[in-house]
Amino acid sequence: MSYIDIRKLRKSYGAGLKPAVDGIDLSIDRGEFVTLLGSSGCGKTTTLRCIAGLERPDSGEILLDGKDITYDQPSERDMRMVFQDYALFPNLTIADNVAFGLRLKRYRGRYTPEQVKRRIGEYLDLVHLADHGGKKPHQLSGGQKQRAALARALITEPDIVLFDEPLGSLDANLRKAMQIEIKRIHRQLGKTFIYVTHDQEEAMAMSDRIVVMNGGRILQVASPEEIYAAPNCQFVARFIDRANVLSGIVVSTEGGQTQVRLGDGQILRCEGNGVAAGSTVGVMMRADRINIAGGPVDGMNMLKGMLAERLFLGAKHEFVVDLAGEAGQLNVFEQEMPDGLGGEVMLSVSPQDVRLLAE
Amino acid sequence: MRAFGNKALVTILGLAVLFFLYAPLFTMAVFSFNDSNYTGLPFNGFTLEWYAKVFANEQIIRSFGASVFVAVGVVILSVTFGLPAAIALDRYDFPGKAWFRRIVMLPIVLPGVITGVALLSFYVAIGLNLSLYTIMLGQGTALICITATEVFARLQQLGRSTSEAAVNLGANELEVFWKVTLPNIKSALLGAMLIAFSISFDEIAVTYLLTGRENTLPMTLWSMLRREATPEVNAIATLVVVLSVVLIVLGFAISRSRNALADTGEAAL
Amino acid sequence: MTDLTADTYLPSEGESGLKRAKRIDRRRMLFWVLPPTLWFFVFMIIPYGMLFYYSLGSVDYVTFTPGLSPANFIKVFTTEPYLGVMLLSAKLGLFTAIFSAIIGYPLAFYLAFHAPETVKRFVYLLVIVPWWASYLVKAYAWKTILGTGGILNTMLIGAGIIDEPLTIFLYNQFSVTLTLVYIFTPFAVLSIYAQLERIPTSLIDAALNAGATRWEVFRKVVFPLSIPGILAGAVITFSLGFGDFVAPVLVGGPSSLMISNIVINLLGVAFDWPMAAAIGLVVITLGLALISVAHYLEHRFQHRL
Repeated sequence: MSYIDIRKLRKSYGAGLKPAVDGIDLSIDRGEFVTLLGSSGCGKTTTLRCIAGLERPDSGEILLDGKDITYDQPSERDMRMVFQDYALFPNLTIADNVAFGLRLKRYRGRYTPEQVKRRIGEYLDLVHLADHGGKKPHQLSGGQKQRAALARALITEPDIVLFDEPLGSLDANLRKAMQIEIKRIHRQLGKTFIYVTHDQEEAMAMSDRIVVMNGGRILQVASPEEIYAAPNCQFVARFIDRANVLSGIVVSTEGGQTQVRLGDGQILRCEGNGVAAGSTVGVMMRADRINIAGGPVDGMNMLKGMLAERLFLGAKHEFVVDLAGEAGQLNVFEQEMPDGLGGEVMLSVSPQDVRLLAE
Repeated sequence: MRAFGNKALVTILGLAVLFFLYAPLFTMAVFSFNDSNYTGLPFNGFTLEWYAKVFANEQIIRSFGASVFVAVGVVILSVTFGLPAAIALDRYDFPGKAWFRRIVMLPIVLPGVITGVALLSFYVAIGLNLSLYTIMLGQGTALICITATEVFARLQQLGRSTSEAAVNLGANELEVFWKVTLPNIKSALLGAMLIAFSISFDEIAVTYLLTGRENTLPMTLWSMLRREATPEVNAIATLVVVLSVVLIVLGFAISRSRNALADTGEAAL
Repeated sequence: MTDLTADTYLPSEGESGLKRAKRIDRRRMLFWVLPPTLWFFVFMIIPYGMLFYYSLGSVDYVTFTPGLSPANFIKVFTTEPYLGVMLLSAKLGLFTAIFSAIIGYPLAFYLAFHAPETVKRFVYLLVIVPWWASYLVKAYAWKTILGTGGILNTMLIGAGIIDEPLTIFLYNQFSVTLTLVYIFTPFAVLSIYAQLERIPTSLIDAALNAGATRWEVFRKVVFPLSIPGILAGAVITFSLGFGDFVAPVLVGGPSSLMISNIVINLLGVAFDWPMAAAIGLVVITLGLALISVAHYLEHRFQHRL
């Protein structure tokens, strides 16, 4: 039994509507940094709000240390949330916002006023806001507000901290800095962090495990490395770093390798088998695993295509290569620039870097 | 570019409307200083005699006190029942909510006289003697909608996230109310209290039917107006306008909510 | 009164989590819903019930006889002056709503689009002051202007335009409508302004950028978007005009008595309580219908801005 167990959780926002969360099962260990990842409407925020008790599920259970907390009041749960819109109390100073939890009835008598003061100081320090305690929320920048919200959530030392797209309204640089900050705090405190985001890069950068969701269901739960290297379906493959996914028909399986015929007739070999000949499959290749080749390379798949577009990304170039007919497109990362657009190019990819995916 | 349209034309039309709004009030104020027994031209000369008369008129002073007394009671009733009504409408789905909303809003569109008749028949049935208190109950019931609509509009604007944050931090329902909800609706609440006060202070239709032996200021004014009016009436009227100006400016400064008054109408829908 | 601290909601023996959660929800909801509901029940619903009781009875001289007759309701719709007065009140209410919107619009437009920030606050105050200035005083002001010895006549005589004071200004439907429009124009301004203020500048820019003339911007973008504000104001000004009883007495004549005056006469002069009650109930029903219609229109015309 894990620390948090979610069983068959289901939640719909109205009769006749498609459920926002459609019967998910998920286990989370103590001290883990778990990210719920998906595009808007996938059910990630609803799941988080059910865990926090801000939403009441239609059915299913949420167990904490084996105890059923599905219907407990949100105020009775020892978990704190960082909201996307900060949700700082506009009438209170930053210090009073941070101290809000400590001054509630349920914590009354636990700390002396001096202790409260000291803790405010500690936690403002933790989020680098020591000089801003006397300000009102509207005087802070977005990043500062979110750090204040984080301190407010952490000060009562909850066992679980929930994040609902906390960096959604920050610009790219600030986001990066805050990601590092949150990761540092996670390591420092060792609490369980459950994080919701639609940004796959953010999820990859921060999490111990990623839960990819779509349409109210969980598609895959795995470490960032595994999700990247071995997505279990086309949706996950496409969602994580826009992998190239082509569809094809299995021609043969022999010697631990499967041959797939693409839409333009080219044959692609990939490691692994288990799919019957004649069935339609997806094949996935990461852009950084494909190379532009001068000529045939031994042991590699060679693909021919037309160079359609070139994008300069700074550290590398991204090329878009069109395959003939309706076979599809491939994105390729390369350091150097090949010959002009519109010409034919030869691509090489190792069979080990081609993965078979179920439709 | 926010400004569009013919600036000169729009400004002139706007000024014309302001003139329409102020000319009668201004005329009335001017004649309160007229040294004549009649309200009207010619202007015989400047005098403060009519103001002296007002302050010497015991009936007027007494009815002014009665109006303040009633208005304070009305404000208390409006807040005591309007605030929970607003929270109920904002936060909960309960059976009969649509009818609850209609009943809260009804006094906004209902002629005061009808509210008065209904309450009068109720008072008669339970044998309640008419007094300042019966006026207070009547106006108070009619003006619950002021607090309800003002506060409701603010709550909707505020959204749920701060109260969710409070609950998530461990606050119980009362703590959420005192520490989060109330501080954030304070200005709307003050605005509503001010509006309720000034409507009550000016109210005549409900009062007309529910008044007992003691009269409020509008009732006293009303009986003076129906007799042949002297500039004394202008003097009272001017004083009343000045008092409202003071209250409005005060409320404006407190609530800092420019749209508070207009919102009442909006929220009524 | 219910205690709202969560600690008091310990689960009772064998109670499921869901049941407990629902019990807590219910208690919290009742805490807010119950007090106003009880108040409205006692001071609105029961009084309306009393009206209903009276409306079914009849009066003999000054003695009330209970009964179960719809006669009074039939009379409201079939006997003069009731139906006529009701229609007249509706007509004057409608005039009030229409004219105060027409007069109020330019000022609201000026406030929303042309007034510099500093002037805006001041002009806004200038609109609120006459709105909250004593209602009786405003009606009385027009009496002093329009009367035979009033300022208008004196000035016209002084200018040599007329020899005798004209009586056409006062004590008719015109003077009642004028007074009501005067009283309620500030409200129309505030209501329309609140809506105009919500129109994002970018919409106007986009329309101009798309090649619309300023008049087209107004006709096709600004005006349609301001309709909810016009309606919101009109519902209130109509209701206030419809139910007014001060203007008809001060500046109106016998031809402009409105429904509130009739009800007061029925009570004070004729002692016909049942008739007054029946009229009251009809008006209450109309009021409820008006709220529903307004609510519907609001959702029909309000776009998310």
